[in-house]
Amino acid sequence: MAPTKAPAAPSSQNPVVLLWKAYNQQTPDRLKFIDAFLFFLMLSGIIQFAYCVLVTNYPYNAFLAGFASTVGQFVLAASLRSQVNPQNKDEFKEVSPERAFADFALGSIVLHFFVYNFLG
Amino acid sequence: FALEKPVCLLKTLMYYPLALLLLAVTAQASVLTLKSPRFVVSDSTGNQLRAEPTASPVKLGARESLKITFQVVDKEDEKGVQPHQTFIRFYDESTGEEGIQPVRVTPGGKAKFDLNLSKPPLYLPPTSDKPLKVSLIIGTPNYDPISAQLFDLVLPRSQPAPVHPDEAVFHPRPELQHTFRPEQKVPNKFISLVFSGIAIAPWFVLLGLWSQVAPRATGLFSPSILPFIASLGAFEVLLFTYWVKLRLGDVLLYGGILGVVTVFTGRRALSSIAAKRTQ
Repeated sequence: MAPTKAPAAPSSQNPVVLLWKAYNQQTPDRLKFIDAFLFFLMLSGIIQFAYCVLVTNYPYNAFLAGFASTVGQFVLAASLRSQVNPQNKDEFKEVSPERAFADFALGSIVLHFFVYNFLG
Repeated sequence: FALEKPVCLLKTLMYYPLALLLLAVTAQASVLTLKSPRFVVSDSTGNQLRAEPTASPVKLGARESLKITFQVVDKEDEKGVQPHQTFIRFYDESTGEEGIQPVRVTPGGKAKFDLNLSKPPLYLPPTSDKPLKVSLIIGTPNYDPISAQLFDLVLPRSQPAPVHPDEAVFHPRPELQHTFRPEQKVPNKFISLVFSGIAIAPWFVLLGLWSQVAPRATGLFSPSILPFIASLGAFEVLLFTYWVKLRLGDVLLYGGILGVVTVFTGRRALSSIAAKRTQ
């Protein structure tokens, strides 16, 4: 789980590529796991919103439920990631990673309940 | 002694309908009649245009006048009677408007009624092309009342009766036509399928990414952690079942029970992980 060695990057490379390389090498696998989930949620939300704008918002409640589910889950997962990150340990002294996961689980279940309610 | 008076009163009350009947029988059916009724229509200069006892319809121009004279007498002994109430009534059948004017009768029963159209009196009802029905109404005690049609009177047209501001409220209002938004249509099936495919695509992206970075799930199936995972899975199954067929009360009940179970399993699982982490 400990991050691997720091990269020796030449300064002539594209900053985005540099950022990507640093991210790949320095982020622990668990955080990458959560990051993949966040990316998936973002994609899903964008696609739903594009469909609503381009085609129709006919079952408006369904659109709202779907979109709100992606946004809400994104927020919960992002907060989990920031609380679980070992580098943020000083900021979250009273919140252990287990507590963070329990909060995430509870929040997710409540969110899913409301989303299913609204989905119709 | 105290009971005698009410009993006497009761007895007289019992005879009351019979007494009324006797009174009706003994009351004379006296009848009034008119003697020498005459009416005259004259124009503005006083010339007589028409003079007959009764004829209809009588046409009255804008500056002419109508004069009616008669005497009210008892039918049997031909004595003049001054009735308590004597009225001339002008009634328009088509609109239902009427005008009533009392007639002055002398104690000897002689009556005179004058209608001068160059100064139209206020009691005339609004007139149209239809004739007014003129009738005489006489009422007095001890005599049968009289309500006799005299003749039809055609007067010049007047302004119509003013309409009450609330008149429209008492008739059916015009029907309301509501306009509604057109129904929303489901889009083209092909487009729906294409976008459904696009919407499911992120799942494959997620699975692909996760296959690359999946952390080792060694402790996932240990007896301290598995019940917690199972409770979370059960919650998701419960929520999906709620969407499909359950009702709110049911899901809240089951959710409550499952929540209690999850709390216990969760505490056990997370405390074991925390213990392992701080070792």
